[in-house]
Amino acid sequence: MTETAGISIRLEQDFPIPLNIDLAVDPGEILAIVGPSGSGKSTCLRAVAGLHKPSIGRIVCNGATWFDTAAGINLDARRRRVGLVFQSYALFPHLTTLENVLEALRDRPPERRRHEALAQLARVRLEGLEERLPRQLSGGQQQRVAVARALARRPDVLLLDEPFSAVDRVTRQRLQRELAELRHDLEMPILLVTHDLDEAARLADRICVIHHGRSLQTASPETVMARPQSPLVARLVDLRNVFSGVVTGHRAEAGKTLLEWQGRCIEARLSKAFPPGAAVTWCIPADSIIVHRRDRPSKGERENPVSGIVREAVRLGQTTELVIVVGDDVRQPFHLEIPTHVARRNGIEVGAAIGFSLRAEAVHLMTPEPDGAGQ
Amino acid sequence: MEWDALWLSVRLGGLTVLILLPLAIVVGRLLAVTKVAGKSLIEASLALPIVLPPTVIGLYLLVAFGAGSWVGALWQELFGHTLVFTFEGLLIASVIVNIPFAVQPIQRAFEAISPELREAAACCGLSRWRSLWRIELPLAWPGIMTGMVLTFAHTLGEFGVVLMVGGNISGETRTISIAIYDRVQAFDNAAAGKMAGVLLLISLVTIALSFLFAQRVGRRDD
Amino acid sequence: MPQRAARRLSALIIATVTATGLIGAPGLQARDPAIVAAASDLQFALAEAAEAYRRITGDAVKVSFGSSGNFYRQIRQGAPYDIYMSADESFVLDLAGDGLTLDRGALYAIGRIVIIAPEGSPLEADSELNGLRAALAEGRIEKFAIPNPEHAPYGGRAEEALRHAGLWQALAAKLVLGENVSQAAQFATSGSTQGGIIAYSLALSPKLSARGRFALIPQAWHRPLRQRMVLLKQAGHGARAFYDFILGPAGRAILARHGFAAPDETP
Repeated sequence: MTETAGISIRLEQDFPIPLNIDLAVDPGEILAIVGPSGSGKSTCLRAVAGLHKPSIGRIVCNGATWFDTAAGINLDARRRRVGLVFQSYALFPHLTTLENVLEALRDRPPERRRHEALAQLARVRLEGLEERLPRQLSGGQQQRVAVARALARRPDVLLLDEPFSAVDRVTRQRLQRELAELRHDLEMPILLVTHDLDEAARLADRICVIHHGRSLQTASPETVMARPQSPLVARLVDLRNVFSGVVTGHRAEAGKTLLEWQGRCIEARLSKAFPPGAAVTWCIPADSIIVHRRDRPSKGERENPVSGIVREAVRLGQTTELVIVVGDDVRQPFHLEIPTHVARRNGIEVGAAIGFSLRAEAVHLMTPEPDGAGQ
Repeated sequence: MEWDALWLSVRLGGLTVLILLPLAIVVGRLLAVTKVAGKSLIEASLALPIVLPPTVIGLYLLVAFGAGSWVGALWQELFGHTLVFTFEGLLIASVIVNIPFAVQPIQRAFEAISPELREAAACCGLSRWRSLWRIELPLAWPGIMTGMVLTFAHTLGEFGVVLMVGGNISGETRTISIAIYDRVQAFDNAAAGKMAGVLLLISLVTIALSFLFAQRVGRRDD
Repeated sequence: MPQRAARRLSALIIATVTATGLIGAPGLQARDPAIVAAASDLQFALAEAAEAYRRITGDAVKVSFGSSGNFYRQIRQGAPYDIYMSADESFVLDLAGDGLTLDRGALYAIGRIVIIAPEGSPLEADSELNGLRAALAEGRIEKFAIPNPEHAPYGGRAEEALRHAGLWQALAAKLVLGENVSQAAQFATSGSTQGGIIAYSLALSPKLSARGRFALIPQAWHRPLRQRMVLLKQAGHGARAFYDFILGPAGRAILARHGFAAPDETP
């Protein structure tokens, strides 16, 4: 990413909410900032928009410096070309849909404004609703107006603050799909703030996991979910299977590192950074755990075969959540989700024995947290 | 029925509103968006005319603008007559006394505008002036109208201050409230009753209007 | 209320307010007609005189009634009256002494006070105030109305008369003070009090005489009510004309009809 295209954001502050962010987003890329409530996501977005001034930082968009504490630059929100979709949409309640969008077109020549506004509305599939007032629109329609208004500005960066949180699931999925389609026409960097991991995984090219205002890891969703940088990130992306182990050795030619866990030998992806004897925290994503069928027990050719006893089996509709105790250590159980019909077919219930394999390539090693709290 | 007294009161009310309206919008909005330290103090002093008895206000105004004061003397120099006991004197007194009735509803109306709307306006690239004119004022308008209507009604009924500062000079400072009082003293209850009835009617209409506008403020952004 | 309707209503209100404010823009018109500041005891007499004057000359006169003391204070502060008709000449002479008037004015009447008891009151009105004495002794007087002695001359005389009769102490706690003699008359005849002392000129009027009975209080019991009128500095032709009218035969006849004794001029 060069300095002249896309947006680079660096923010630091202690008060009122601690922030320590370092991000860069390319044109046409969607980056989702994910984190729990109060982690500073919205504050970060507002800082980019120019609605909040952090103590220290630098924001450069398409080569223009919008904010730089070192140089004493702080462009007002009006002078930055941002499109911001508020969580509550913030539509002007006394103006019609068309008028709302027209307000963002004040820099176009007057004769072109109406045409452009109609085009933007058509883009978000709101033709026919131009004369409606916001209170006469559904939640999903209001959100689309907000997006149209933001885009009408031809912004250098599009900011979306939890844009789908206020609508029901069906509408949310439809809006997500529309955004996914729309983004192909958009040439600006897009920053999306959400607390919903799944949403981030579905929409974003990269996600940035944020915790107490600090950006912990910024990478593609697959990377973050499969290879979290730290046990904290693993927790934040809801990886349940996080355990402690000890490295016993490396087999570079096979691309594997071996570790000892609960008296067994586990094969993991090669991680030379951890010397033999080092204590590690390891994790594995749920989709890399393969349950053995009852009628085809392991014959020893599977990777990392593990067997244990089912301690809990909670049926939640079509899915059953299992907690499996392996070996003697009840403090480090496995968490699995399997379709309910599979559970039934294989007789998987509380007290039953169950075997599964761990794909070695997916076993990921991390430096343990100082107080040893990895799970 | 003293039509010129009624007309005088209506004119007084009308002019008070015209003068206070822009002032109250500026002050009301400022108070709504600022978080400056002395804000409570400012709000309290602006609310003073509500709690002070009208006679007290009248007295202080008389002292401040009477022939003995520098304001009164200056006025006398410039215009050849006193400031008190004239319509202009009443007007100034009326404007001062009605400040809270005008400012408070307007301030509430601006406060009711979600800050996100102002932010959205900024993100749309609207200048501060256009944001005020196109976004905030229309949304605050019901509150502004309420302030105007209340000020007008309150001026119509103002008695204590007018008595102190006005002097009951027909055509100049004899408002309808004073006229009613005067007719009662003259044992002309019939005339007093007629004028009181008209005043009551106007007050009812005023209250109804202010309720209508207040409803609009409440229903604004769902 | 729908938005369009609200906008139209707002526009209408603003237009109306602007119109009323600007039409007949304020400003002191020429000092024609004359403005008279008259003591409240002249309520009926002066109304009739002004009407008579208008019929004869075609000119109107604006009269404000109030207590002499209040007008005295207002004139000192520059109130724009043309003629001051006081119920007590000391106010006039005081103003004249400070050069606020054209001259020392003229006596226009001698006033009298009466005790008045409304219909149904236990009080009997008589010149010696014996009825009042008796009613007080029997505890049948709760409230008694007089004008405020502080600034209404009739009030001051009422107090003097009551002191002369030795009734002031007994009555002091039961007094209701009128802002001027008209208000005192209101209180005295409203039925909320058992009676009061007011101006003879007011008691004589048909409106009041129907409401109760009254009796003249001896002149010797109080200082005389030497009522003096004067032209103020800014008085114009219209004011002078009216001033002369009051002091002329027509004016005096009206005043006499309203119970005012003609003054013997000892300036």
